Amino acid sequence: MKKLGLSVGCVLVALFFLMGTASAKDRVVIYTSLENEEVVEYLEQAKNELPDLDIQAIRLSTGELGARMLAEKDNPQADCIWGWAVTNTSEFVPKGMLAPYKPKGWDKIPDNFKDPKGYWTAIDLYAAAFVGNTKVLEKDNLTMPKSWNDLLKPAYKGKLIMPNPASSGTGFLQIASLLVMLDPDYKSKPVEKNKAWDFLKKLDKNMGQYIKSGSKPAKLTAAGEYAVGCSFAFVYSSLKKKGFPVVMALPEEGAGFELEVNSLLKGAKHEKAAKKFLDWAISKSAMKGYAKFKLGVAYPGMPGPKGLPALGTVKLAPMDFPWQSKNRAKILEVWTGLFLR
Amino acid sequence: MNKTYKEGSLIEKYQISPTRMEFDKFIVPTVTIFIGLLLCFFMLFPLWSILTMSFFKGGEFGLLNFTLENFQKYFTTAHSLNALWHSLYVSFATTVIVTIIIFFFAYAMTRTTISGKPFFRNIIMMPLVAPSIVQALALIYLFGRNGLITAHFLHTDWNIYGATGIIISEVLYCLPHAFVILYTTLSAVDIRLDEAAESLGATPFKVFTRITLPSAKYGILSSAALTFNLTITDFGNPVVIGGNYNVLATEIYAQVTNLYRFDLGATISIILLVPSLMAFMLNYYISRKTFSMISGAAKPVIPPSRPLKKISYTVYCWLVSFAIILIFATVILGSFVKIWPYDWSLTFQHYKFPSIGGYSAIWTSFWISLIVGIGGAFITLVAGYVMETRKPYFKQLIYLLSVMPAAIPGLVMGLGYILAFNKPYYIFYGTPWIVVICIIICNFTLGILASISNLRNIDPSIEEASISLGGDTIRTFFKIIFPLSRVAFFQNFVYFFMRSMTTISAVIFLVSATVHLAAIEIIMLDNDGWTASANAMCTCIIVLVLIMLGLLHIVQKKTGKRQAGLV
Repeated sequence: MKKLGLSVGCVLVALFFLMGTASAKDRVVIYTSLENEEVVEYLEQAKNELPDLDIQAIRLSTGELGARMLAEKDNPQADCIWGWAVTNTSEFVPKGMLAPYKPKGWDKIPDNFKDPKGYWTAIDLYAAAFVGNTKVLEKDNLTMPKSWNDLLKPAYKGKLIMPNPASSGTGFLQIASLLVMLDPDYKSKPVEKNKAWDFLKKLDKNMGQYIKSGSKPAKLTAAGEYAVGCSFAFVYSSLKKKGFPVVMALPEEGAGFELEVNSLLKGAKHEKAAKKFLDWAISKSAMKGYAKFKLGVAYPGMPGPKGLPALGTVKLAPMDFPWQSKNRAKILEVWTGLFLR
Repeated sequence: MNKTYKEGSLIEKYQISPTRMEFDKFIVPTVTIFIGLLLCFFMLFPLWSILTMSFFKGGEFGLLNFTLENFQKYFTTAHSLNALWHSLYVSFATTVIVTIIIFFFAYAMTRTTISGKPFFRNIIMMPLVAPSIVQALALIYLFGRNGLITAHFLHTDWNIYGATGIIISEVLYCLPHAFVILYTTLSAVDIRLDEAAESLGATPFKVFTRITLPSAKYGILSSAALTFNLTITDFGNPVVIGGNYNVLATEIYAQVTNLYRFDLGATISIILLVPSLMAFMLNYYISRKTFSMISGAAKPVIPPSRPLKKISYTVYCWLVSFAIILIFATVILGSFVKIWPYDWSLTFQHYKFPSIGGYSAIWTSFWISLIVGIGGAFITLVAGYVMETRKPYFKQLIYLLSVMPAAIPGLVMGLGYILAFNKPYYIFYGTPWIVVICIIICNFTLGILASISNLRNIDPSIEEASISLGGDTIRTFFKIIFPLSRVAFFQNFVYFFMRSMTTISAVIFLVSATVHLAAIEIIMLDNDGWTASANAMCTCIIVLVLIMLGLLHIVQKKTGKRQAGLV
């Protein structure tokens, strides 16, 4: 019995070692905050098109990914970042944690989708959207809101849900777009004096819950937990496809949006493989994959997903990425102080 | 112990050769030192990192860097400070409710003659096989804003998010832990005292308040302390059902991951450590006292209960069991229903996990748990053996170190691990090994306590015989102690395996691109709004753990018989 136990133990330990190291392929370790749903498909495609890479990836929320990077500052575990908010990425450039790299095909990416020094290259943009549950709206005799202003109507009290900007990139872009749109002088005054906070305080009275993830407001709404969720566009089309009773509206004032970008980490342990992956990640075929989900991709002239309006017809909010990146911590501090109890 | 063979001339030919004696002298301190160092390095060092992070500027230890700024910031930020009150409120409420429910449940199991006791005992242990998140998942499906019961049967707007939800899910999670303690206490207290009081004319109520309750008071306190500790350190349930209601554990996570404030995360960890350490010390103090209360002449025969008592306790036990069964049934059913509660057709689609980890995460969890099970059970058994029978120097110190992990919340340990070990020279960082080590250390206490109590049951004369016949420490351990404590080994294996499959808080900071774990996938799936798939992942874990339990039950039965035949 003892010998049996011992030998079983040995076999287990041996297997365990093998499990981690068996692959002869070039390993690349990727952190991403693209939605799980899409990233599973992209990875499938990547594994087919990059057969000599052993791709290891983890999906973290926008906030979690940053925390990981900071925690691992002295010993980076990841080689590259794939699809992270440009606001957060720009924050990390001055920290010296990213390495400039211009992937193959960099010239084809429009200028506003890339950093001139190559610290980041965008793959797509995704925009804020309201997702409503038709059954709940009908039951409570409500209309689908068309603008941020509509959400202030007392009838929606407690029936709205939006993401917590501190953990969710979607939440942050919604708040950032309001800060820029509702106060033309946003640049010249301190963040806490911005006029948009008054609007957000009114909105807070109607808000049922602030939740960690950006897609969850839409999903909880679809499940009938809330009437309207402030979320983003493509989660709507995938819920609709699954048969949930949902409708979508893009905020009339202008839909806040965010670029999702790739970058190479300084001190990456598998730099060669990482570069290979980053080349693939802005290739035409990869972009085709993104275009199945995203409102817009960085590659010009690519049609968007079915069920979403074409990017050209959408009124986008005037986002100021350098400003919101510089003030990210402050914006979150003010928001947290006002709305978390 | 060593004197026996030196004096006896009869057994001279069995005397150990001098080299082996030297070796023997060497082995006990080596094992002791090894275990001491293991605990220092993998428990105290991460804790130290947390301490420096919270008390020193930039986490750099030094007199000039000392600061209370983080604590000041914590106690002046209303939102963070609320987390402390929330945690205390939720934990107190849970403790009171669990203790009351479980006292009567254990009373029914030990003092009444209701039928179906084995069934009830098995049901009450059920929550152990699942991560501390099933309760919250099920309650949302039943009592959420669009819950089956609240929205569709009762048509009410009331919902369970917030403190109520946390308390109910924690109650359902803590039941088995409290039950183990109170069941042991109540079965150990001498029931004849009750009989004596009754025959002297005391009313049943008086017997209960004057005899039964006081004799179980240490058990009650001890189970209350444990419940308090489990609740205040839990992460899975509050993060799912808490809504905007934050508690200390979720606040640590939020500070670190949302605001990148590792210093504040560490500070809140210290604040969380205080109540959990106090509950632990209370428990430690009580468990020493308990033994004196237990009479050696305790008699297990129970007088037949009156019909009314029997019926009411049967109903009561059914109610408690029903609540637990309902939780599990909801989660398992929820994983097969197409769109809860709109479309009740059954489907397997939620088992196609929309996450990177998916089935490989379950597989990894399984392997890691096997290794944690074998490694944890072996280490705690060796440590228990050396400490209990070899009485090495610094025994008290090692003992204190080994029971300490129970007081450290998993989330705090995990945070300590990233702060302490994320350096290029700690090659185990980012590998599955750091997860294995973290889980073993987090659950070290119960493993070692079980080993020690089991070793106490082995007649020391068998071991003495082995030594006088010339067996050295290693041989005695492998030929005598290990076979005799096989049952304890298997029990510890099961315990470590279950903890490893179901733990969330200890490893949430440690999963990586190469190590995905099933329990963490549940949190991530739920976070993304894939609640049905989160249920499916839960179901997979539950099934795996149950299969393992079944297998070990069979093995144990077989070896148990063989062992009985031997002795």
